[in-house]
Amino acid sequence: MGEVEIHGLSKRYDGSPDLAVRGITLTVLDGEFMVLLGPSGCGKSSVLRMIAGLEPITSGTVAIDRKIVNEVPAKDRDIAMVFQSYALYPHMDVFANMAFGLRRRGVPRSDIERRVNAVAVKLGLAPYLKRKPHALSGGQRQRVALGRAIVREPKVFLFDEPLSNLDAALRVTTRNELIRQQREIGVTAIYVTHDQIEAMTMGHRICIMDRGEVVQIGPPLDVYRNPVNTFVARFLGNPPMNLMDVTVEDTPAGMSVRFGSCSISAASWPADELRRMGSKAIMGIRPEDLYEGPLREGGVAIQAATIIAVEPLGAETLIAVSIDGVADDVMVRGGRETRLRTGQSATIMLDVSAVHLFDPETTRVIARSQS
Amino acid sequence: MRGSGPLWLAPLRRSPLLIFILLYTVVSGGPFIWVALMSLRTTPEIFASPYSAPSPPHFEKFVDAWTKSNYSTYFWNSTIVVVSAVALLTLIGAMVAHCLARYRFRGHRLVRFVILSGMILPPQLLILSLFQILLEFRLYNTLVGLIAVYVAGHLGMTVYILEGFFAQIPQDLFDAAQMDGYSDLEIFWRIALPIGAPALFTAVTLNFIILWNEFLYAVVLLTEDDKRTLPLGIMHFMGSHQLDIGMAATGLMIAILPVILLYAFFSEMMIKGMTAGAAR
Amino acid sequence: MSGSDAEVLVKRGGASAPPALVRRLFKLLGGSGPGSAVDARRAARSTLFLFLGPALLLYLAFTVYPVLRTFWNSFHTIKPHNVEEFIGLANFHELLAKDVVFWKAVGNTAIFAIVATIADVVGGLLLALCLFSGAPLAKLLRVVWFTPVLMSYVVVGVIWVWIYDYDWGLANSILRSVGLGALERSWLGDPHTALWSVMITHVWKWLGFNMIVFLAALHALPGDVLGAAELDNCGWLAKLVYIIVPMLRPTILNLLILSFVGKMMIFDLVWIMTGGGPLWSTETVSTYVYKRAFDWNTFDLGYPSAIAVLWFLIILAFVVVLTQLLRQRDRLEF
Repeated sequence: MGEVEIHGLSKRYDGSPDLAVRGITLTVLDGEFMVLLGPSGCGKSSVLRMIAGLEPITSGTVAIDRKIVNEVPAKDRDIAMVFQSYALYPHMDVFANMAFGLRRRGVPRSDIERRVNAVAVKLGLAPYLKRKPHALSGGQRQRVALGRAIVREPKVFLFDEPLSNLDAALRVTTRNELIRQQREIGVTAIYVTHDQIEAMTMGHRICIMDRGEVVQIGPPLDVYRNPVNTFVARFLGNPPMNLMDVTVEDTPAGMSVRFGSCSISAASWPADELRRMGSKAIMGIRPEDLYEGPLREGGVAIQAATIIAVEPLGAETLIAVSIDGVADDVMVRGGRETRLRTGQSATIMLDVSAVHLFDPETTRVIARSQS
Repeated sequence: MRGSGPLWLAPLRRSPLLIFILLYTVVSGGPFIWVALMSLRTTPEIFASPYSAPSPPHFEKFVDAWTKSNYSTYFWNSTIVVVSAVALLTLIGAMVAHCLARYRFRGHRLVRFVILSGMILPPQLLILSLFQILLEFRLYNTLVGLIAVYVAGHLGMTVYILEGFFAQIPQDLFDAAQMDGYSDLEIFWRIALPIGAPALFTAVTLNFIILWNEFLYAVVLLTEDDKRTLPLGIMHFMGSHQLDIGMAATGLMIAILPVILLYAFFSEMMIKGMTAGAAR
Repeated sequence: MSGSDAEVLVKRGGASAPPALVRRLFKLLGGSGPGSAVDARRAARSTLFLFLGPALLLYLAFTVYPVLRTFWNSFHTIKPHNVEEFIGLANFHELLAKDVVFWKAVGNTAIFAIVATIADVVGGLLLALCLFSGAPLAKLLRVVWFTPVLMSYVVVGVIWVWIYDYDWGLANSILRSVGLGALERSWLGDPHTALWSVMITHVWKWLGFNMIVFLAALHALPGDVLGAAELDNCGWLAKLVYIIVPMLRPTILNLLILSFVGKMMIFDLVWIMTGGGPLWSTETVSTYVYKRAFDWNTFDLGYPSAIAVLWFLIILAFVVVLTQLLRQRDRLEF
């Protein structure tokens, strides 16, 4: 019903030789909440606007409900969009804002009233129906923008960073509200953001974009646990995954990975891949997979670690560690309290099963052997 | 909006829009082209066929118009009057604007009201009395008198444009300067003026164009031929060359060309300057 | 020298004002010490004199004083050699009750102001929309279409007098060449068409101005709101009617008032093109004022002063009423 399929979508802006969007291919299933995540300038908003019909397509196709809509004007695509700036009509009151699209489509008056009032109640906007946007708070305006989209009962919802202009606390509550609404209404939603927390919590699947291209698509936890390259590895997770330069050694006992004075077995990775890489590799380990003692099963102890900084955050402690000959600023997620002090020499444990290896030239991950 | 332009404008992009654009361009530019063509032809040629191109183009007519009809005097008078008036306006207008924007003092609102309300006074309310007053001050029929009237008459608009801009300069700059021991005058000269330069340019452009073309005050307050400003000079020229259309066209071209020349180089500044008072 | 010292000097200043003033000016130029003003925004008297003095002097002498004097004049008869005679409201009485020409001029000016203002503003909006919606060469067109605004009324007036010429003017020539020769007439010589002809010229001159202001306002409209309107099923006409024009309301109002006031005071163009004729058909209030003052068989500055005063009050009243009626009740924030 509300399936959106993009094929080879590209966009070049006037006056720029480069493509802002390069051949994106992606399918959003009916009822799915797909998040387009990426840093500023990666092209995610352009993709969204091309789907909406607000931006002309340079090449490629957009299909909604199995029909290609490249030539269909925005108003006929049965799409509703929530803008980052809310884009409310400043001269109309809340009711008129929400009713406008329906009135323009010739929906009978009684229907309009029924639908608008229902949505207003659902979003807690009923007391504000007669107010104009300038008399509303940011959160209220956001809800009006959302209500305007819901009332249209479209096939697809598009969201362009709708929460960026809200303060932190409001962002959390509105985020949950949005999730609830979408799950309840069950309509396809495509959501653009640069905030990874929004992506992780809201999406059925997330699509990570960088410089106009799709880097990885998948359910949030999948992408988190199995990043396909160093970019994704560092983009998700806060603090980001630690990346260190390591050496790959081909010893009689098997392939191993050495960093500083430590060495771990590289048996889980396909040996020929490792050999092809040469002797250098990048090892990735998330802060939560490093810990203070005691050593647990499957772990390895890293001696010669010096504590650089200790940041107690209350619920956890972030410890910045320097490992001799390996890396200066490895982040470790400690517990609520720690006995470690700055300048101290300590031993940090590493969970070998959580190690990722990346090819330093292509930055792609070396997948573990299936076994 | 730029992106959505093509899509919803597709129907509009067809011929009607282009025809309209062509039509209006001809309407707004055509008359000038016509005059330009006529300025290079003699009157008999024009009456014979009013719309053809000059053949041969009589460039010497321009020299004739300039030398034989006192044009240099008119031009010189206009230059003196307008340059002096604009310079004075900008300087004292900036001082007033700076003062109003930067300082609090008793009577602030009164001064502001009095000066800005000058913008809505119709010229007729002033010229009759100015006529009497200039006669009494012995400034009638003098360029100095006209300059004084111009400055006083356009002070309101100038202050209006400059004040808004000056007020936006962060107070911190002035606080810092004062802590460094600068006097009020130095602060004005070294800080407000340089930073306010864009607004000053706007005001200068606006005043320049308005005063260069100004007609009513000049026609009432100047009567001698050697005091006439350019607009008056052209009227006089038209008057004495009424049937000599060719010569009259040449005279018009002399008046038009400087403006067009300036416009070709400074179009953005001139457009912004002239509409500064209206855009909010 | 602190601010309070300066104040003391001023209070004491009285008889020895010149030297004290000079001393103060010197101190000013030399730099007042830090801490001389507790609040940087309070100005010393000397500063105020310096900054406001010259301007206020000129302004009071050549603007305020004349206005007051015109009011004074309107209650008098002013004969040659400055012979003044107080006659109370007699001028106004004659003006309102007996002056047929005045009322004709009022009528002409009113028609002119209303029709030309509407044409001006609507036309300017149309031109701006043309350029805004992505016409080719928009930048160049913007510059070309603005040109008439820059020309003096003399240039514009004379050119259009020639355009309106019966025998060889552009207007009639075009009509003849298109086969509408029957419509040709002496545009400025016929009392029925003269006012409208002048009006067309005036609108021609000012369309570019309104266009530029509207163009700036259009570009200031938030793109997202227009995008939202598109998604709400608005074609270009619906967008114009329901979104663009309502959001442009403050600009429209400003331009209407600016245009209206300007046209109520029109003198230059009429004077140059027709001098008020033929048969008073283009006589405006301001040309009538000029004529009564300088072109009349009896010299009396009092009567035209009365006309000027009355007209000023009328314009003022119009502006106040228009603003009240049409202004935005709430803020249009975006």
